[in-house]
Amino acid sequence: VTWRAGFVLLVAAGLAILESVIPHLFHLRAARPDLLLIVVLYLALRDDVVQGAALSAATGYLSDLSSATPAFLYTFLAVLTFVVVRTAGAALRTEGGIQSAVVAFGATLGHSLVATLIFGFFTGSGLHFEAAPLLWSAFGTAIAAPFVFAVLRRLDASFQHADEAPGGLL
Amino acid sequence: VHSIFKRFREPIFVIALLAVPFVLFFVRAKKGRDLNALDRAVIFIIAPAEKVITLAVFGVVDAWQAYGALWGVREENLKLRRDNLKANQLEQQAAELKLENDRLRRLLDFVDKQPPARLLIARIVAVGASPHSHTLRIARGTDDGVVKGAPVIAPEGVVGIVSQLTGSYADVQLILSPLSAIPAIAQRTRSRSTVKGTGDIARCKLTYALRADDLQEGDVLVTAGGPGFPQGLRIGRAVNVVKKSHGLFLEADVVPAVDFSRLDEVLVVLDRAPAVPQGVASGPGAPGSGP
Repeated sequence: VTWRAGFVLLVAAGLAILESVIPHLFHLRAARPDLLLIVVLYLALRDDVVQGAALSAATGYLSDLSSATPAFLYTFLAVLTFVVVRTAGAALRTEGGIQSAVVAFGATLGHSLVATLIFGFFTGSGLHFEAAPLLWSAFGTAIAAPFVFAVLRRLDASFQHADEAPGGLL
Repeated sequence: VHSIFKRFREPIFVIALLAVPFVLFFVRAKKGRDLNALDRAVIFIIAPAEKVITLAVFGVVDAWQAYGALWGVREENLKLRRDNLKANQLEQQAAELKLENDRLRRLLDFVDKQPPARLLIARIVAVGASPHSHTLRIARGTDDGVVKGAPVIAPEGVVGIVSQLTGSYADVQLILSPLSAIPAIAQRTRSRSTVKGTGDIARCKLTYALRADDLQEGDVLVTAGGPGFPQGLRIGRAVNVVKKSHGLFLEADVVPAVDFSRLDEVLVVLDRAPAVPQGVASGPGAPGSGP
């Protein structure tokens, strides 16, 4: 495990805490951003395959732990999202804030639909699509995406500087 | 084999990362989650941070509100004195009514078969991290006597059940969750049905309500009792009642009595034993210490 991977996990853990606390503090019912999904998107667009997939799985596991759904649903979905976005990565550009917001909006919609399908199909609880919460969640994630991308870019930049400097961190 | 593995290292690794969680999810999809040592360790680190942030923010908000409240305290004091006088009168009337009720109950030889519940007050420290989850995290766990499956309620009505636990924290699966189903009776007609979660943040579904039942818009649904929730707790109101010309059951939605986004504390039903240990309140809304 590299230092950078460790710090990405720390950022993910911090975002998991924020994701659990902010809706409670601000009484948000619908427009809840999926912050950990944004981390997976960043990894899919920036990281190498092995490390990115492993970190995505770890990020999904964090989401799993505080969702109390059947275990490993979000771990699987995080890796699946990583693979899909990675595959489509050539067509996606996320240099600016708006671009990352658009990618996050689309990815959240896809992620939510697949989560609802898998959950309903395998738990036997049936399929219940509710468009409004799904769109609000995607909207919240899109707003949060530029900030999370900026934090992770800054993290990567600091490691690049450390690499370039003599006697760097890695 | 080694060269093949080396050549396809990345796809093999990614496929394994996809396959392992999916198989584990598939195997356990219809079961609850039992936390292992790693799960407990991660929650042990994350949950206190959630608790500290929540308590700190609420502390600041409370302090600010207390400061603001000082401005109107004299007028409020006068109003409270007047209210207090009225409350004393009502209390005396209520005491009389209670005595009368007790006499009548004895006359009718009515015995409440349901033993009193032991309730534990728990502070909510966080909600489920994923927007798709329907859970709350409370600062009470196995150390406080909470068990998996324990009903969780609020003064307004039913909240959900405890779905996973550590020593100091528990996750509560809300009645909104698609995995939730509660036996219910309509307060007015006493007809039985089941309230199921659908994943919608504001509504549940009423199932197995007979079409012949006289269920109407706005009818209050309460818990039917049994091994889960104590009997008579408010679940919500029936809305969108549709009685088709065919079929055995009617269709309806249920608006939960509790606004889950505005809960700060909940009550965990520990068991139905009458003993009341320290820090445990008895009866809905009874005073007790927070976490």
